[in-house]
Amino acid sequence: RLTQVRWSRYSPSFLEPEVNKELYQKPQEELSEEEKAKLELRAVRLIKAAPPSLSSSVFGDPMISKFTNMMMKDGNKVLARSLMAQTLEAIKRKQLEKYHKAPEAEKETIECNPYVIFHQALKNCQPIIGLSSITRGGKTYQVPVPLKDNRKRFLAMKWLITECRENKKRRTLMPEKLSQELLQAFKNEGPIIKKKHMLHKMAEANRAYAHFRWW
Amino acid sequence: LDHGYALHTTAKDCFSSLASQDAQTLTETPREVFYTSENDPAKHAEHHEGRHYSIPLEEVKAVFPHGLPPRFQQQIKTFNEAYVMVRKPALELFTYLKSSNFAHPAVRYVIYGERGTGKTMTLCHVIHFCARQGWLVLHIPDAHLWVKNCRKLMQSSYNKKRLDQPLQASAWLKNFKISNERFLKEIKTHKKYVWGKRESTEEGSPLGEVVEQGLARVRSASDAVGVVLKELRQHCQLGAFRLLVAVDGVNALWGRTTLKKEDRSPVSPEELTLVYNLRKMMMNNW
Repeated sequence: RLTQVRWSRYSPSFLEPEVNKELYQKPQEELSEEEKAKLELRAVRLIKAAPPSLSSSVFGDPMISKFTNMMMKDGNKVLARSLMAQTLEAIKRKQLEKYHKAPEAEKETIECNPYVIFHQALKNCQPIIGLSSITRGGKTYQVPVPLKDNRKRFLAMKWLITECRENKKRRTLMPEKLSQELLQAFKNEGPIIKKKHMLHKMAEANRAYAHFRWW
Repeated sequence: LDHGYALHTTAKDCFSSLASQDAQTLTETPREVFYTSENDPAKHAEHHEGRHYSIPLEEVKAVFPHGLPPRFQQQIKTFNEAYVMVRKPALELFTYLKSSNFAHPAVRYVIYGERGTGKTMTLCHVIHFCARQGWLVLHIPDAHLWVKNCRKLMQSSYNKKRLDQPLQASAWLKNFKISNERFLKEIKTHKKYVWGKRESTEEGSPLGEVVEQGLARVRSASDAVGVVLKELRQHCQLGAFRLLVAVDGVNALWGRTTLKKEDRSPVSPEELTLVYNLRKMMMNNW
């Protein structure tokens, strides 16, 4: 596989830092062949510097940090992180209130863990197929195209953030609106899920141009 | 900054019991270590220190219509239960209050401390204790609310130099009514009060009527508050009941206000009727 060396200051022989503590705490016997080969390689090769936002703690979630970075404006990470914390707190409070009011039979179905809700909501918002503009003979056609995982995650997070920034009533704060949208997406309702379905319908409508894709 | 690395007392108890009972296994769950089943503030002793006791929700609505800090009210709404921690200053205050001599003039106590150390919650604990004992509780939730961000300021009809605050006064009267209903029917006024051309309260009518008057005619609400305070002071000297005056943020009564008169000159606290009447309560001549 070719790595894009043109933009990165590191030479291609550098490896990414390994954050998973459990991998290093496993005794020699339990490691599989691939893991042994990987550890041996890491003993010899140079490693890239770990960015400050990468952490090995149980509480650090790469998805949450990516989302906070996307919410950040003008480099104000402190504000973005506090907004994220308040959103998760708001989700937890809403779910707890529902839990205490629900009858005994439904208590087990209510999900109270805000991280689980966040991940599930993002998964529900991810489109499966996207559109890409291809120019043939002077005309641009919207061609349905399979999306990569990174692109899907990016689109879901981008839609969520733009929806919360634009369609708020006056004086509602971001954590309040975000928690509302996340809970709706968790149940597969709400404007972001509708947007995803619209994209799928457009792709289905433009099925005829699918053969324009060459990758 | 001096960070105390000593463990909290309840956790210390837990570990000391571990050390002494090596043979037995520790059977206390975290619920037993941090919570008490002793829900009566009068029976709280030093071994309860650091533990939380619960107040039933109906009592919360009756005793604290306006007393609790907003974060705590949010917690009550989320978890459907109100747990207050028993703190050492509160226990000290209980001993003083239990042994207070009602023939002498009132003793004034100050709860002070850094930000976030539990002064308001200690005050609420003491108020709950007094409410259970049957005292009349005069609770001003936050004196700062009366001294800043007031929309309507009117010139007082009683005294030309002072300014009235109808909104804050009527809000306080409403909450006072909820917390002390039975006292309002028992206490009778000593004087006749004239509110305007047609409204007046006769001598010997229950205090509840004064409160109703203040709520109905918002213009004279601050004067109604002044009347209530004066009557309570007089009755307390006669010894009919026990009175507890609890003010959160007392320093606001003697500091500066952010309010301005119509000619943009700053208002000093003495010129506000509510603050003036409350300062008279703060003296220990009753």
